Amino acid sequence: MTSLKRPHASTTPTTTLSSKTYLRTLKSGKVQKIVRELYLRQDIPCSSQLCSACLDLQPSGFHKKTAPFVLSPTPAGTKNYPQGHYLVPDTNAFLSAMDLFESEGVFQDVVVLQTVLEEVKNRSLPLYNRLIALTKNDGKRFYVFFNDFRLETFVQREAGETINDRNDRAVRQSCIWYAEHLQQAVSARKSARCPAVVMLSDDRDCLRKAKAEGVTCSTLEDYVFALPDADRLLDMVASSKENRVTKEGKAQLLYPDYLSMSAMLTGVKSGTLHQGNFNVSPYNYLEGTVHVPAFDRSLIIQGRENSNRAVSGDIVVVEVLPKDQWKAPSSKVIEEEDVGKNENPENEDGAAEGIVTEQERRALQEEVKRVHGRSTEGQAQPTAKVVGIIKRNWRQYVGHIDKDSVRSRAKESRAQQTVFLVPMDKKVPKIRVRTRQAASLLGQRVLVTIDSWDRESRYPVGHFIRSLGELETKGAETEALLLEWDVQYRPFPKTVLDCLPAEGHGWKVPASTDDPGWQGRRDLRDLLVCSIDPPGCVDIDDALHAKKLPNGNFEVGVHIADVSHFVKPGNAMDKEASLRGTTVYLVDKRIDMLPSLLGTDLCSLKPYVERYAFSVIWEVDSNADIVSSSFTKSVIRSREAFAYEAAQLRIDDQSQQDDLTQGMRHLMMLSKKLRAKRMAAGALNLASPEVRVETESETSDPVDVKTKQLLDTNQLVEEFMLLANISVAAKNYEAFPQVALLRRHAAPPKTNFEELSNQLKTKKGMELKTDSSRALADSLDACQDPANPFFNTLVRILATRCMMSAEYFCSGTQSYPEFRHYGLASEIYTHFTSPIRRYADLEAHRQLAAAIDYEPLDASLQSKSKLEGVCKNINVRHRNAQMAGRASVEYYVGQALKGRVLEEEGFVMRIFSNGFVVFVPRFGIEGLIRLREMSGEEGREPESVFNAEEYWLQIQGKEVERKVELFQKIKVRISDEAEEGTGKRKIRLQLV
Amino acid sequence: MPPYTNLPLSPAELAYLHTSLAANPPIRPDARKSTQFRPLIAERNVLPTANGSARVCFADGTEAVVGVKAEVEKTRTAYSQHDGEAVGTLKEVEQEEEGSKGKGRSEWLDLTIDVPGLRDDDALPTFLSALLAEPLLADTGLLDRLYINDRYHWRLYIDILLLSQPLSYPLPLLSLTTHLALLSTRLPALLSEQNEDPLFNDDWEASTYLYPPTTTQNQPTQTPPVTLLVVSVADTILFDPSKEELAVADAVIAVSVTTTSDTTTNIDTTTINNRTTNSATTPLALKLLALRTIDPPSRLTPHTPGSSADTDAASVWMPPRGGMPRSLVGKVVKACLEPGGVGEEVLRGLEGVEW
Repeated sequence: MTSLKRPHASTTPTTTLSSKTYLRTLKSGKVQKIVRELYLRQDIPCSSQLCSACLDLQPSGFHKKTAPFVLSPTPAGTKNYPQGHYLVPDTNAFLSAMDLFESEGVFQDVVVLQTVLEEVKNRSLPLYNRLIALTKNDGKRFYVFFNDFRLETFVQREAGETINDRNDRAVRQSCIWYAEHLQQAVSARKSARCPAVVMLSDDRDCLRKAKAEGVTCSTLEDYVFALPDADRLLDMVASSKENRVTKEGKAQLLYPDYLSMSAMLTGVKSGTLHQGNFNVSPYNYLEGTVHVPAFDRSLIIQGRENSNRAVSGDIVVVEVLPKDQWKAPSSKVIEEEDVGKNENPENEDGAAEGIVTEQERRALQEEVKRVHGRSTEGQAQPTAKVVGIIKRNWRQYVGHIDKDSVRSRAKESRAQQTVFLVPMDKKVPKIRVRTRQAASLLGQRVLVTIDSWDRESRYPVGHFIRSLGELETKGAETEALLLEWDVQYRPFPKTVLDCLPAEGHGWKVPASTDDPGWQGRRDLRDLLVCSIDPPGCVDIDDALHAKKLPNGNFEVGVHIADVSHFVKPGNAMDKEASLRGTTVYLVDKRIDMLPSLLGTDLCSLKPYVERYAFSVIWEVDSNADIVSSSFTKSVIRSREAFAYEAAQLRIDDQSQQDDLTQGMRHLMMLSKKLRAKRMAAGALNLASPEVRVETESETSDPVDVKTKQLLDTNQLVEEFMLLANISVAAKNYEAFPQVALLRRHAAPPKTNFEELSNQLKTKKGMELKTDSSRALADSLDACQDPANPFFNTLVRILATRCMMSAEYFCSGTQSYPEFRHYGLASEIYTHFTSPIRRYADLEAHRQLAAAIDYEPLDASLQSKSKLEGVCKNINVRHRNAQMAGRASVEYYVGQALKGRVLEEEGFVMRIFSNGFVVFVPRFGIEGLIRLREMSGEEGREPESVFNAEEYWLQIQGKEVERKVELFQKIKVRISDEAEEGTGKRKIRLQLV
Repeated sequence: MPPYTNLPLSPAELAYLHTSLAANPPIRPDARKSTQFRPLIAERNVLPTANGSARVCFADGTEAVVGVKAEVEKTRTAYSQHDGEAVGTLKEVEQEEEGSKGKGRSEWLDLTIDVPGLRDDDALPTFLSALLAEPLLADTGLLDRLYINDRYHWRLYIDILLLSQPLSYPLPLLSLTTHLALLSTRLPALLSEQNEDPLFNDDWEASTYLYPPTTTQNQPTQTPPVTLLVVSVADTILFDPSKEELAVADAVIAVSVTTTSDTTTNIDTTTINNRTTNSATTPLALKLLALRTIDPPSRLTPHTPGSSADTDAASVWMPPRGGMPRSLVGKVVKACLEPGGVGEEVLRGLEGVEW
């Protein structure tokens, strides 16, 4: 009998077949044994330009093209390896020092082994993606060597060997092979200089074995130490476990342990535990909330011990605490910098203090007392504690070094010390960082990342990535907020620019109508089209026209830039745009979604030139009811580009009687009717504090702050854009009921308005009806205070904060009633009118083009799952872009106020037991006034009485004695001050 | 009708065979001793993606492959009855075992046999699978090992495939192959604890054997049962009968034996154990799991019409009637279970099959 077994196990030098076996757990809980056959080959090149043997050997791909060799023939040398060297890092080297590998010009000629790459992938997907990006970066010369597929470097797992040991052995085997191989290549060339192959590892055992096997090796730290600028580089290495182990003996475990993953999943499935997103309150860093589907209201997580090392943004699993521990949300402002001022970052164990410092406990205890004293049982909200973390959503954080935590300020001091880094985002705890360059980083914006948060450490431990520059400088602050909101701001890569039309700025709409570009397009060049945009707008998405028809009706057209003509689905430019999701507008900067050639020229519906457009044309009667609508690709020529104000002047100027102006007057008349109809249907008129920063044109230094003015022409454009969006949404949904990309705005749950309506009732005797958007709109209109015209806007601002945020979605994932846009009171809605600056619009364009049979629908738009992925990303990007824009305005407002002291009107928006929040409409700023600041003496709170039911705070200090109420109009003094601890500038409000 | 039943043997040939087998010592057509097995070739782990597998080839050309697959399954209702408790005397042992003892259930085992040319519901495969499943179920140790926690268990699929025609009665072949396959069966290592949803180590090397191989000398091995086929011809008993021997057998019984971790149940073995403790290898403690008589194919042999019915000699060949006498059954059991006996020889032999 001959054996039926395939001889997997026996890898004699000639067999080229092997296998590996592992288990895979499926979603259903089934476990599969997977056997992968490996066919080993000998033609995988070493990719060193020194080697000519591999060059001949390497298999050629399509068109007989071979991949160019990556590794330099003359790699850089260091102190220890003067002859030059190739690096072969192991998995942990990548995991702990990815920032280092990414930093410019430090690591080059790196061999990334397949074994290592796969291990990195298993351990951390984000790091894996970063590593892949590195290998694609030409300048870095990172080469992925498929060692597990090459016969000489393949290592069979031995009986009883752990996977880690096997992988370490594979790394060493590859190093040995590389060294030998290079030696041969070098002697074949008869050159003397043979680069060393250096293995980087922190595993002591592996290093010992490597030395025994004759492999050149080094620990990461030793290696970096020999490089110039080692201090800066060493800071980028994640603090390794090894360093911390030394103290382990006496370290006290401060935090409870997490449950095992399987225990969490079982608990979540059976409903005893809950999974949700951990959010920290912006006013109280010790309090977080987790919204879980099982509860109407968010679960409150109070205190460090209950939040158990969760950082804002993490996906956590929580356990609900017994009912007698339920509490009302905190009515006190607690900021980390006040409470934890005197902590010493070197004091790692914190044994004396335990997990909660005395100050923190006191801060929370008052809380408890107050809650217990109150009789209103219904106020208590369920509380919970974190028992485990499903996914850390740690990112890179921007912050500055806490000055008090730095021991030695001398610049020359190279002593390593531990400092606290205070993140810009108040919701993120201080991060403990070990560094040798503390003194030189003081007063700088720095980028850090969190590495770990162990049970024995009060604060998370992280490492520096780089410095963004001096605090308060424009460059550093702008980059900081782009990083904080994860906005892609690097220039477009070459692959993207390659997708642009070859003609560049010289591109024109083809003159001959026989050109394929004209196919399926209507010639609308004779229409009197114009665009109305904010002043200085260069990316003109939309243009309009209207004319009176002989039958008394009107023809109205909305023409949108035809971006989908230039951006074809699936190419590099499309991918980049889908990643960016939206253009981000900062005060002095615009971060484009599409390269500016398209955005500001070829797509932009500039006046006096012919442009491709996507037109929506309606026939409407004089009552603004739609008689018919049609969609077409077209060619238009805009007659004029107006700014809002200029358009308004033109319409109002009765001496202008040309057709274009008449058309604009028709539009104005129709838009008012449309708006009235929309309002009648229950659309909400919401408000958010919007200000505009006027800047000097040359230096873009802020000169003044103005609140945005709304003209009728703004509303004109808005109305027609809404109309176009709604029409397109209906058309797309009709054509693709499963995969239309739509936008919805869910009705807010009633509980969201509870607080606000209670406040209005007790303070103003007004009632907020929230049954429907119509009722809400009406009751918002009724919220008037004759003595205080701004009061209505204030209520609208507050109401807006109670709303859900609108989101993009794929029509197949929701039922039709869920499509509703609450704010606009429209049954269906999408974004269609700004394809230059929003990716969703671009997708809607493609779908509409397919719906009118202009072109077939791309496969990516037919797959529900792919579209869902796109929606998820653009929802996040959209929100981040808004936040970044707001943060930018905030920063510039601060800059505009620099050195000035102003007195302004403000309104009390929110009351805490130890302070209150004031909103200043003139500058759109919101600031906290703390009781502590109102007493003459530093750091002592004046006596006060706080009434949470009636929302007032009575201050009974020695000098000041007054009562502050919610919605009260007060005068505040605005000044800016440099914060002592950080050197950071802050706007300070004071009660006058 | 399976081919092994109607051998083209004349009554004279049958009678000759019968006589030579009944001789003392018996003369078997292939010159084997009465307890000797036919040579066989075996290998384990032939199917890479199964949890365990084996292939056995007998010298007569019959060949079988067995694959064992394990699947996680949700336990329908909370367990209520203790199947294993009928034994009664296992109390102390039970205390030491973790909670899995007696929680196994017979429906967790799924055994199918595929014989070429026969339908699934034909008598032979049905009967064979019952015969093979019986000792596996009786050996509750196996079922208990399928217990993961109160909510989940392994479901074991044993797929037996006879590759050749059933030239001789395939029971021993299939039983040996199944035994080997089960010996090589590994279950993924459990990471989760207690009653959580099971989570397994994705490293195959870390998986545990369903029947863990012994590490120390004195620890009794746990092995899957093996079913041996024994025939009696007159007063002789013959193990591993060939098809010719089956054709003349007076009675056929299938004996299922396994090792036992418990030394008190079988007094015979304990006493024998005492006698032979100083030998190099500790003898296996064996126990009898099942014993079944099988209708011998010899019953179907043609009855030669004698010239006259009154004399025995006149009839060349009479198909045998009746079963196996008690004394012979005792002899068979003893031969199987005694130290150094057939059972131990077979189990040791299979243990030695290369991985």
